[in-house]
Amino acid sequence: MLLTFFLTTLLSMPPSQATPPASPDVDTCLGCHSDRSMAVTLPSGETRALYVDLDAFRKSVHGNKLSCTDCHQDMTSVPHDARPFTTKRDFTLAYYEQCKRCHFANYTKTLDSVHFKALERRDRMAPTCVDCHGAHDIAPPHRPKARLSQTCAHCHEGVFAVYAKSVHGRFLEKSDDVPGCTDCHRSHDVAGPRDVNWQKRTPELCSACHADKALMKKYGLSTAVTQTYVADFHGMTASLQGAGTPRESSVVALCTDCHGVHDIAKVNEPGSRVLRANLVKTCSRCHEGASENFPAAWMSHYEPSWEKAPLVYGVQLFYDILIPFMMAGLLLQILLHFWRVVVNR
Amino acid sequence: MSTYFTRFTVRQRTEHVLVMSLFILLSVTGLPQKYFEAPWARWMIDVLGGIDRIRWFHRAAGLSFTAMTAFHLMFAIGSVASGRSPLSIVPNRKDFTDAIQTLQYYLGRAEAPAQFDRFDYRQKFEYWGLVLGAVVVISTGLILYFPILFTRLFPGELVPAAKVAHSNEGLMAFLVVILWHIYNAHLNPDVFPFDKTIFTGKISLERMHHEHPLELARLKQIQDIEEP
Repeated sequence: MLLTFFLTTLLSMPPSQATPPASPDVDTCLGCHSDRSMAVTLPSGETRALYVDLDAFRKSVHGNKLSCTDCHQDMTSVPHDARPFTTKRDFTLAYYEQCKRCHFANYTKTLDSVHFKALERRDRMAPTCVDCHGAHDIAPPHRPKARLSQTCAHCHEGVFAVYAKSVHGRFLEKSDDVPGCTDCHRSHDVAGPRDVNWQKRTPELCSACHADKALMKKYGLSTAVTQTYVADFHGMTASLQGAGTPRESSVVALCTDCHGVHDIAKVNEPGSRVLRANLVKTCSRCHEGASENFPAAWMSHYEPSWEKAPLVYGVQLFYDILIPFMMAGLLLQILLHFWRVVVNR
Repeated sequence: MSTYFTRFTVRQRTEHVLVMSLFILLSVTGLPQKYFEAPWARWMIDVLGGIDRIRWFHRAAGLSFTAMTAFHLMFAIGSVASGRSPLSIVPNRKDFTDAIQTLQYYLGRAEAPAQFDRFDYRQKFEYWGLVLGAVVVISTGLILYFPILFTRLFPGELVPAAKVAHSNEGLMAFLVVILWHIYNAHLNPDVFPFDKTIFTGKISLERMHHEHPLELARLKQIQDIEEP
């Protein structure tokens, strides 16, 4: 009975490879749009090319999946109706939401981005999907990985130039291990530098790589950096502050406050902020009046040991012995006393 | 109607109430900082209003404790210097022999426990433990409070060493109070449930016979004591 029902249902279902509803194919559109000189002059005086490079489109990720009207849905009649756009940017801003019909998850993420916030403020230059991904020639954005960051560099030139000289940026094109822009700032829900909740996650972001034993071993780096940071005053404070509290309420040094942000250098490079010679200056950014002795109050991510911090290690060892010894002695005396009282009764 | 002796002055009783309150406040705000990664510590920090507030209270209580300790020590030094102090709290050779004899008595190897004067060896141990512990937590606490000032004169490595010393000394003090002081002042069958002397300042003749016979003998030489 159940089987019959199942089979009937199955057979009555439409075939999975349904033919798409009739729509003009790419060749129809290219009948006009393959003309290289085709363009329209907008009221702003800008010229908008209407030529479509079919080769580029065919090579794009959508080349064998979409046809023109999947995105240009409103182009239903030929010749097309007049469009209300006065500038090229008007056109881009009006069309970028076409992507969300398929890429809904990523579109939704962009609503949380610093870019969308700019758009909300009516910053018409705020980037939309096509500004980063392109339109007809869309290629996988992360192949090669360096391409992601180079995309950001189109607008964020200054930051990229600084980053390119950093210990990470220098190896951007040589290795996929180093973080590019999106590894820290994310891609669709791009976090801006003044996003407090994102700033507070800095130790977590850095730890994603710097606590990865296999990855750090490749470069001879210690993975104790997170634990030693959290064990000390700064890291403890950072780990305890709720995500909601503004950073200003209690200033605390995050990874980037000592190591720098886009300009992060190797710890032993002359320009490094955490090089011994530069430490007083780095500490003084928060600890006004810090002297030459002050930086040694921080154990430079080392675990206390006889070699690295003998005094700290020694004091800890002293208490590790004293406390159990003391408590055992007192407990013994209490038990003996109690026993004597019981016996005497 | 039993006879009572005045054991503690109003100043001493006030000091005890103060040190008790500050000790509780310092433990409640200090231990969660030492074990901040533990879930119970996170919960306490949340409940008390966050790490910034907990630090503020810990420092305020610490400064009060510092002022109190300074007052106590100045008073003690003053009374010793002016010859008014009986020096009855100062440890001496008898305390060591008392301790050995008492332990032997507990083990059944001595006929009777040691006889004590005004303070027994356990009380002296606790008093000097508190004074010594106070010196450690106050000095290291001030280093942690004013690291910039401190490192103008001293090496930086003393700061993390001070942190280790401060938190361990605090933990030890907490454990000693929880185990030793709570036993001696509350759970000890001799005083159970509560030794009120430090709050009322009074101690009964019966307890004087039992706990401080040497002091009682001294007192009898200088004043008339009516035995019931």
